[in-house]
Amino acid sequence: MNSSSDRWLAYFMILPVVAAVLAFVIGPTWDVATLSLTQVVMGQERGFGTLGNFRALAADPMFTLVLKNTAIWILGGTVLCVLTGLAVGAFLAIDSKMTTGLRALILLPWVMPDVVTAMAWKWMLHGQVGVIGSTMQSVGLTEQQISFLGDPDLVMWTLVVVLIWRKMPLVALILCAAIRSVPNEQIEASRMDGANAFERFRFVVIPNIAFSLTAVTVISMIWITAEFALPWIMTGGGPANASQIMSTYIYQQSFEFFSWGVASAMSVVNLVMLMVIVALYLYVNRRSWASGAAS
Amino acid sequence: MGSVTLNNIRKSYGAVEVLHGIDLQVDDGEFTVLVGPSGCGKSTLLRAIAGLETISDGQISLDNEVINHLPPKRRDIAMVFQNYALYPHMTVAKNMGFSLRLAKESKSEIDRKVRAAAGILDLVPLLQRYPKQLSGGQRQRVAMGRAIVRDPEVFLFDEPLSNLDAKLRVQMRSEIKELHQRLGTTTVYVTHDQIEAMTMADKIVVMRGGHVEQMGSPLQLYDRPVNVFVAGFIGSPAMNFIDATVQNGTVITPSGAILGPAPDSLPDGSAVTAGIRPEDIFLSDSGAETTVGLIEPTGAETQLTLRMDGASLVMTTRDRVTLSPGDAVHIRVTEGKLRLFDTQSEAAIW
Repeated sequence: MNSSSDRWLAYFMILPVVAAVLAFVIGPTWDVATLSLTQVVMGQERGFGTLGNFRALAADPMFTLVLKNTAIWILGGTVLCVLTGLAVGAFLAIDSKMTTGLRALILLPWVMPDVVTAMAWKWMLHGQVGVIGSTMQSVGLTEQQISFLGDPDLVMWTLVVVLIWRKMPLVALILCAAIRSVPNEQIEASRMDGANAFERFRFVVIPNIAFSLTAVTVISMIWITAEFALPWIMTGGGPANASQIMSTYIYQQSFEFFSWGVASAMSVVNLVMLMVIVALYLYVNRRSWASGAAS
Repeated sequence: MGSVTLNNIRKSYGAVEVLHGIDLQVDDGEFTVLVGPSGCGKSTLLRAIAGLETISDGQISLDNEVINHLPPKRRDIAMVFQNYALYPHMTVAKNMGFSLRLAKESKSEIDRKVRAAAGILDLVPLLQRYPKQLSGGQRQRVAMGRAIVRDPEVFLFDEPLSNLDAKLRVQMRSEIKELHQRLGTTTVYVTHDQIEAMTMADKIVVMRGGHVEQMGSPLQLYDRPVNVFVAGFIGSPAMNFIDATVQNGTVITPSGAILGPAPDSLPDGSAVTAGIRPEDIFLSDSGAETTVGLIEPTGAETQLTLRMDGASLVMTTRDRVTLSPGDAVHIRVTEGKLRLFDTQSEAAIW
């Protein structure tokens, strides 16, 4: 066996993937990174090697608001998405005719196109004609019809609710599958040991599904960070930038104001933040995903 | 005290009844083994005692107190599962102390009890390990330790040795028996292995198809099986069964070989099934004529498979055998060891 030709064959076999990653991931990322260090005026590049974009970003009063909104969007969205997903998943894991049907139905929000979801919710939440606001008013919950997307104090959280409606089902299904794969004998052993339903969930189910839980948390966080169509179509960052988040602000800066440089700087900040959060999370949870509790 | 009384236990899944009214008394400190082939309902019965399975009818009592409707945790019963069912994310110490932790006992108390139990089972050096770092036998001991720390009234074992290799199984068998002698806790043990049942039990309960076929001490069952099923199930190699008839006060095979005397109560011409244990057959100068089929020496004894009237007959002997396959030999049955069963009902006659 010629080991050197084997090695060349191996390199040759992974070449397509390497090329694709270079072309579609590394390339654009490199491009954005260099662009963030280039001064751009009205879409025209005017010299490389400046931190002016980052300085402009730091000086931008909007940027603080965007960071705050993004924190609500990503952290609030992820935490609530995983928590509701866990609750729904635990419910779906119960064996009954009803849950068997629900397990299929629940994927519906997830398979709908972003645009359809966004438009439907936009109309349901509308300040004058929205069915949700008018129902709440007619049953006497509110005196006036609430404009969920028009109220700067409500809009961010309203978006998070829609986000959860859309992203939670898959989280719930993954966790449901994980919960159902917990060995029954462990559950029975814990019943013999005297654990009540909550203790069984806390001390037996959760540790057994820790890997899935970590995985869906990281995946949700990445999905939510990348989600653009939903907030853009529903609010476009409004009212008065009250729901402006990283993805929508970057889009606005690049394709409406053509400030490529600042937008690229923001993308870099966004990427670094996400990497730091995910790395921190994986570090904190290293026990659950490092394929075993024992070290 | 921990005496378990089962009264007419029935269990149905829909229209299918799997336990048909089981009555059973397990005295305090007794080691009772439920044994039977797969699907005989022994595990279901054990799980019903544990409270993991509801019953359709009947009464389960612990120390004369009905516990039918109590959840498992309020029954003061501990169970050892077939696959150990250890919590993979907890160390041995945490696994063993889990029930005490749930019962809100103090840390020092948990530590003391876990160490005491670990001492009994030689687990002290392993307390900080995780289950996946243990061998099968060690895991089995941890599972037992988890049951011991609770100091329950009753231990339940659900085929605990079936995942171990043969050598380890024999070793763990004696460890469990020793443990029982040391702690004296009432034990109900389920197995499909009749050797486990024979070697460990104070009382064996043989089950088939959701019925109790017979219960009694191991030797009672061995010497006086009530029917063909129990006779064939208990003992290894299994009892030989031969179709025979009664003639002139003797039991004879279809070819006319005499097996032994028949009881006076049986009229001439009655068809019976004769049961003979392999060790109750001996070679002799006269008697039924057979041909040697297989010779299997195991060292201490030799197992011979003999052919007679087209049927196979297994005998064991502690003598060194100089025969070879095809040889014709005469055999006799040790006096008083011939068992007779009714051919129709399979019930023991004599």
